Amino acid sequence: MDKVLMLGNEAIARGAWEAGVQVAAAYPGTPSTEIVTGLAGYDGVYAEWSTNEKVAYEVAFGAALGGARALTAMKSAGASVAADPLISSVYTGVNGGLVVCLAGDPGMASGMTEQDDRYFGRISSMPMLEPADSQECYEYVKLAFDLSEDFDVPVMVRLSIQVAHQKSIVRLDETMSGEETGRPAPERKPPDRKTEKYCLLPRFSRPLHISLLERFERLRRFSEQSAADGVLAFVEPAAGADVAAGADAGSGPAALPLRPAALPLRDGGVARIGVVSAGAAYISAKEALPGASFLKLGMIHPLPIEAIRRFAATVDRLFVVEELEPYLEEQLLAAGIACEGKRWFPQWGELTPVRVGRGFFAAGLDLPRWAQEKAAEDVSVIPRPPVLCTGCPHRGMATAMKKLDLDVHGDIGCYDLTTLPPVSHMHSAVEMGASIPMEQGFTRAGGSETGSIAVIGDSTFLHSGLTGLLNAVHQRTNVTVLIQDNSITAMTGGQTNPGNERTLAGAETKPVDIAAICKALGVEYIEIVDPYDYQACLDALKAGLAFDGPAVLITNRPCMLFPRKVGGAAYVVDEELCNACQQCMKLGCPSLSHTETTWKDRHKVAIDAETCTGCSLCAQLCKPGAIAPATATKAGDA
Amino acid sequence: MSADDKTALAAHAGAAGAARAHYAGGVVDDVMVVGVGGQGVIMAAAIIADTAMLGGLDVKLSETRGMSQRGGSVSSHIRIGETVVAPSISPGEVDYLLAFESAEGLRLAPSLVPGGVAIVNLQQIVPPLASQGEFAYPFDAIERMRAEGAAAGARAAGGEERAAGGEARAAGYGVIAVDGNAVGEAAGSIKVAGVVLVGALSTHLPFAAETWEKAIAANVPASFLEMNLAAFAAGRHVGAAEGGEPA
Repeated sequence: MDKVLMLGNEAIARGAWEAGVQVAAAYPGTPSTEIVTGLAGYDGVYAEWSTNEKVAYEVAFGAALGGARALTAMKSAGASVAADPLISSVYTGVNGGLVVCLAGDPGMASGMTEQDDRYFGRISSMPMLEPADSQECYEYVKLAFDLSEDFDVPVMVRLSIQVAHQKSIVRLDETMSGEETGRPAPERKPPDRKTEKYCLLPRFSRPLHISLLERFERLRRFSEQSAADGVLAFVEPAAGADVAAGADAGSGPAALPLRPAALPLRDGGVARIGVVSAGAAYISAKEALPGASFLKLGMIHPLPIEAIRRFAATVDRLFVVEELEPYLEEQLLAAGIACEGKRWFPQWGELTPVRVGRGFFAAGLDLPRWAQEKAAEDVSVIPRPPVLCTGCPHRGMATAMKKLDLDVHGDIGCYDLTTLPPVSHMHSAVEMGASIPMEQGFTRAGGSETGSIAVIGDSTFLHSGLTGLLNAVHQRTNVTVLIQDNSITAMTGGQTNPGNERTLAGAETKPVDIAAICKALGVEYIEIVDPYDYQACLDALKAGLAFDGPAVLITNRPCMLFPRKVGGAAYVVDEELCNACQQCMKLGCPSLSHTETTWKDRHKVAIDAETCTGCSLCAQLCKPGAIAPATATKAGDA
Repeated sequence: MSADDKTALAAHAGAAGAARAHYAGGVVDDVMVVGVGGQGVIMAAAIIADTAMLGGLDVKLSETRGMSQRGGSVSSHIRIGETVVAPSISPGEVDYLLAFESAEGLRLAPSLVPGGVAIVNLQQIVPPLASQGEFAYPFDAIERMRAEGAAAGARAAGGEERAAGGEARAAGYGVIAVDGNAVGEAAGSIKVAGVVLVGALSTHLPFAAETWEKAIAANVPASFLEMNLAAFAAGRHVGAAEGGEPA
């Protein structure tokens, strides 16, 4: 048997490939990105970075209509962008299987909000599976494709970041493993052409809604039956089945524990403890309280409520362990199943084993391992937040906007790091595409005395900035927009976008001209600015703000990391000339640091020759002229 | 397990047997790798996890989250055992802390279990924030860790009258300082400093050198393999000199 360590996301990609997926489309978003990156690496799969999640969903949906198996993947916020087709596609159903991977980010490792995306299943009546480790990711996605075609409905595979970004062992299907090109050619179904199924006019939608509800009843029976068979939900006796090894997960018998072990309580008594859980929360609960009986759910919508009821009858106390909202708990309570959940376990953040363990302890269980609150780290050691890279092309404009004390309405991208020290100058950063419309509202409210500006990157502008800018033109709202064009989707790790010369698949394509787009939208003031020229940044900002009407400034330097690392001759500080004025330190460049030498109690500055890329911004800010390119000899040595 | 026991086991059953014996009865080794984005924490974690898998054990790794490429603090958790449930290590349960940067080592030191071992690179990366004057970079991080590791042992000894001598040490944590950059440079490049640290760690885990080397080969480009293997060997030498017991 071929065993490999895989990220949950990589296991999803592998399983989807084995299931015969032909089309995959997504917009990058942590923690979902590696699914489509992974699929792009397999032969016989068309994979693309689409312009946004709604477009990606529709591309995948169209592929399913065309008879292929298709997949789309997104983070929680992306599901809101794609919500319209997500809901509508459950009405129409599919032809080829359609799987929607939705990766949530409790704890907000990189999300802007914590959202319990399981409610997308409820609002749409889309069935949802939730794997707990990489092995289940691999198996569930295959099952999801089969379910999708059997029930004529898109199927969601819902992941928490703890599952998407963990690596665990996957035992690959022996008939598929070894040769990545060994997949049999997937069979495409004939394209579907049924007006009454795919055209959501009211006369067609009304009967479709009724059949959607009937289909949901069939799904409910499937969920109950699969739980009874131990296919998608399984009971673990207190004796402790080999869950982590994954071999039996999802295929073990669903026999109820005949005599769940009684666990000691802190008051001296004992109780038979049952836990209902799924996904990452299940893994944490299993680590926190290995002696309990578990009903581990694999299908979380619709719930196998009768299987849960039977399980509940075998225990004295039933706990529901789930991340964020009381999604399961409320459904259990509505079905009349007594349980305890959010009373003990936090409704925010990741549910790590310690947070679940502390909850069980608070609920009265005698658990020495979790009896004490322990420190994970010494927070008094110097903070080290992420910073803009050395030579980052966002730095020049960020420093200039701070100098002019503008109100800065940002968007989603690396430039959000300027909200943090040492730059600390951004005043809103909310969601994809928010910057330009919010700046319009801010202006309509009267703006600010020092001036205000919208800041957005190239990828986000192409994702959802265009319509906002078009609105400013149409409404004749006097806004200034800065497009920090670094020619890549940088924050998620360097994915391509329509500004690039190549697609995800490596095919040549025509890069779009952002200035030409703005002109076509009707913007009359457009200036291309070199963000490594600090004075030019200041001048461009002032001129753009002075223009009467929508003005767009576009920077023109590429990301330092993607698609390739950009290097350049390093600069050096002449310590004799340095008067420790600290102007350069305002840039927050990781290659600048203090030396031991001081002048008037202020430290002088040195440049790390290894990492300096020679962007020269620090030299431009240096009043005594102490910073200059390293001599040819020095650069050669470095 | 004592060194003698380990030697005897290895003689009889080979290193694979030693690994099985070490993890029998539900033992889980929790290894945390910490550093600064861009230092190679993710690759080192992958080497450790692959070694455990090649050694026939269950392993889970929780990948560094968030904006790892941008100079922030990063950490990876690796859990090794016959059966591993959760991929993340709980506070206070780290058996081995591999710190690529000394202040990051100091930051995560409270997460060490009594008797744990910190392997800390001498490298110091001063974040831009420290240069603003609001925060002081802990240039004495390793000294502070040594003092704290010993003090934790002393506190435990005071708390339990029976504990003394070696038991007190076991209740604190040990600190092994490694000049990974210098050793790496001697092996070919400071870019392999992380593999030097992995080499030092390898003397504390029950896997054969060949297993580690296989895992390294699976994770580094072929053209750099020789340099990485040299760095690993050098790190192993450092680890053994500091009291590690190669399997």
